[in-house]
Amino acid sequence: MTTKTPTAERSIRIPRPVYSLAAILAIVAVAGFTTPSFATLDNLFVVIRAASLTGIVAIGMSYITISGNLFALSASSLGALVAVLFALITAQFGFAAGVVLTLLLAGVSGAAQGVAISLIGNPIITTLAFGTVFRGLAALFSGNSILRIESDLALWIGTARPLGIPTQSWAFVVAALLSWFVIRHLKLGREIVLCGANPQAAIASGLRVGVVTSVACIALSTGVAIMAMLTVSQFSQAKADLFMGYDFDYIAAVLVGGIALRGGRGSPLQAALGAILIALLQNFMLLNGFSAGLRMTIVGFLVVVSISLFHVLQGKSR
Amino acid sequence: MFVMTDIVKRYGPTLVLDGVGLAVKAGEVMALMGENGAGKSTLVKILAGIEPSDQGRIEIDGKPVTIRSPGQARAAGVGYVAQELSIIDSLSVAENVFLGDSSIGIMRSAARLAEMARPYLARVGLDYVDPLALAENYSVAERQLIEIARLLSRKARIAILDEPTAALSESEIVRVKAAVRAIAADGCAVIYVTHRMPEVFELTNRVTVLRNGKSFAPMETATLSIDTLIEAMLGRQLGKMFPPRAAKLGAEAVRLESCMAPGLKAPVSLSVRSGEILALAGQVGSGASTILRLLAGVTPLGSGAILLEGRAYAPKNVADGIASKVVYCSDDRKRDGIFAVRSVPENLSAPALSSISRFQLLSGSLEKGHIRSIAAKFGLDERYFSRLAGNLSGGNQQKVALGKWIGLNPKLLLVEEPTRGVDVGARAEIYKHLRELADDGLSIIFASSDTQEVLGLADRIATFFHGSWCRWSTRIPRPPKASPAT
Repeated sequence: MTTKTPTAERSIRIPRPVYSLAAILAIVAVAGFTTPSFATLDNLFVVIRAASLTGIVAIGMSYITISGNLFALSASSLGALVAVLFALITAQFGFAAGVVLTLLLAGVSGAAQGVAISLIGNPIITTLAFGTVFRGLAALFSGNSILRIESDLALWIGTARPLGIPTQSWAFVVAALLSWFVIRHLKLGREIVLCGANPQAAIASGLRVGVVTSVACIALSTGVAIMAMLTVSQFSQAKADLFMGYDFDYIAAVLVGGIALRGGRGSPLQAALGAILIALLQNFMLLNGFSAGLRMTIVGFLVVVSISLFHVLQGKSR
Repeated sequence: MFVMTDIVKRYGPTLVLDGVGLAVKAGEVMALMGENGAGKSTLVKILAGIEPSDQGRIEIDGKPVTIRSPGQARAAGVGYVAQELSIIDSLSVAENVFLGDSSIGIMRSAARLAEMARPYLARVGLDYVDPLALAENYSVAERQLIEIARLLSRKARIAILDEPTAALSESEIVRVKAAVRAIAADGCAVIYVTHRMPEVFELTNRVTVLRNGKSFAPMETATLSIDTLIEAMLGRQLGKMFPPRAAKLGAEAVRLESCMAPGLKAPVSLSVRSGEILALAGQVGSGASTILRLLAGVTPLGSGAILLEGRAYAPKNVADGIASKVVYCSDDRKRDGIFAVRSVPENLSAPALSSISRFQLLSGSLEKGHIRSIAAKFGLDERYFSRLAGNLSGGNQQKVALGKWIGLNPKLLLVEEPTRGVDVGARAEIYKHLRELADDGLSIIFASSDTQEVLGLADRIATFFHGSWCRWSTRIPRPPKASPAT
């Protein structure tokens, strides 16, 4: 009714990233006071590098979530396949060809998954199946052996610190800003958000829901490819069992960052924050000698708590 | 016999019922009337224990009762037949009659259950039905009657029927009316929710009107005329509800020639001129909405031809329709009309992303201009721009769902149930803005099951019944001064 004043329907809302930032500051404060080895320059680089590689993939994953397709479970397997292909191509044709062809192949694999999701309608099942295919192909192509590359350029990219900051972290920052710009300022980004908010209404408004799903999958594949190439460059080797079990970290970063599972809300920057939060927590626990089992339990618990928290907050604001 | 007083119910920020009262005597049929969104369904759901009320008292035979679950409602003798049928097709008729009745137990044989069901079925005029046959073998009307038989089997003393005839034809309605008379004659207090005027005058003893979440003292049906009842529902004279009709019409904009599509039983031919508002009148399943979906590109054309401004037009999907400036607003805005979790401006610009961006880059100034012009044309307050579409009232949501199309400068606007779930004030505004758009040359076709809306807004009316187009009305009487019998 137009006679009603808008204030009657307004409610105060704290933006979700604020919660993630507060959690990051809390961990830094606790770790800084209790753990002497935490606040050292060396450790800082360890944390930043770990957050960066997870973060680059999490940013790509946030496209899947925001576009209304929940999650992809194929990221870690695709990472292994991409790493193997990158190592093979680089060994044969050099670094530049390796980068270009690897990105191209990753893009194709993303588009294929997008088309399949559109046809099948279930992103979880589709990407689970694709993940198995990717992991299998990685084993086939690598012959289950360790592939080595010898490229000074690759080694430099994997280990250098321009302006004192690891290349991985530069890539992370660039990826975060670029993804934010796409979602916020490109026509395509608005389409991704609207399709995630209500796919039925998107179709009824003439938006390209199928295209959006494929774009989201390509965004994730690109993130995975960059992460995998940086990892191979850093260690000058690749094998088929790389990144095994990392999928939960990528998804956890998206969830802890407070991106709504139902899609249509949130920003890639939140996934970046989530990745930093989880990397800090992992590092803090490692330095304090927490067992692997305990670390796993705590991270899983953090995800449960944050999903519940954001769910309750959403209920209030509605 | 039973009294509800001071019932209050909120959905989030919206006050749906604001101190409503309802009293019904045994053996009486009380009509509960009001516009879409007036709170009728919410009120009966509170009595049926499906929705808890925020405040209020319910008394039965002078004793206060607490009803906060369907089980408590049943124990208090309240029976409820919902708008959506709750008949399970894969169970037998007898099993449906006793559905959810815990006193039956699981040990009864099918034959025994059938014998128990027979008297109740006979009471509602279903004596010819085989209680052992599956419910799916029977028509919608027969299943509606099975639901009423279920009320009888539960010895309900208060029977709520929420629009029991909405999906039925005239001859089927006669049977439901007979069943309602039968249960009232047995001493049941009947609450009858309906939009259909003839039923009110033929069937009910008194009428309680709800308007904007408030109730009015019951009126004796015998003392009412259709006009006084409509005015009580609208809160104003019908004449002021609707804008004046088109002074002059332009050239022919759209023509359908012998079109067939799934949902139609006979070919339909009709045309609309620019500046004209055409109503497709009909209940659910009448085929009226099929015509809209056909034109929008949702439903494929079976046979026949469509001409848009003289040229052949055959949209393969919604995007095709939009490209030809034919736009469609369905009757379910929550499902596909709005993006509830996005802001109002993002909703308004959703179909027009290309026109608000330069080189794939969204332009803030273009978007602002775009949504401002829509807001001005559709009477949408700019104070709502910071809000999520899902947090708006029904009326403003409908303005957003319709308004988003206006920015495309469409040639043909297709609207299904233009004011479903919209309050009186916003209804009048929406009618006014639709007429203004038509006066600017837009052609509008709307499908509606609301007779007042059809009579009040349209320049011409095409009536649909059971998948067939049946009647043209060009000279429309308004406001309707018909006698109760018609």
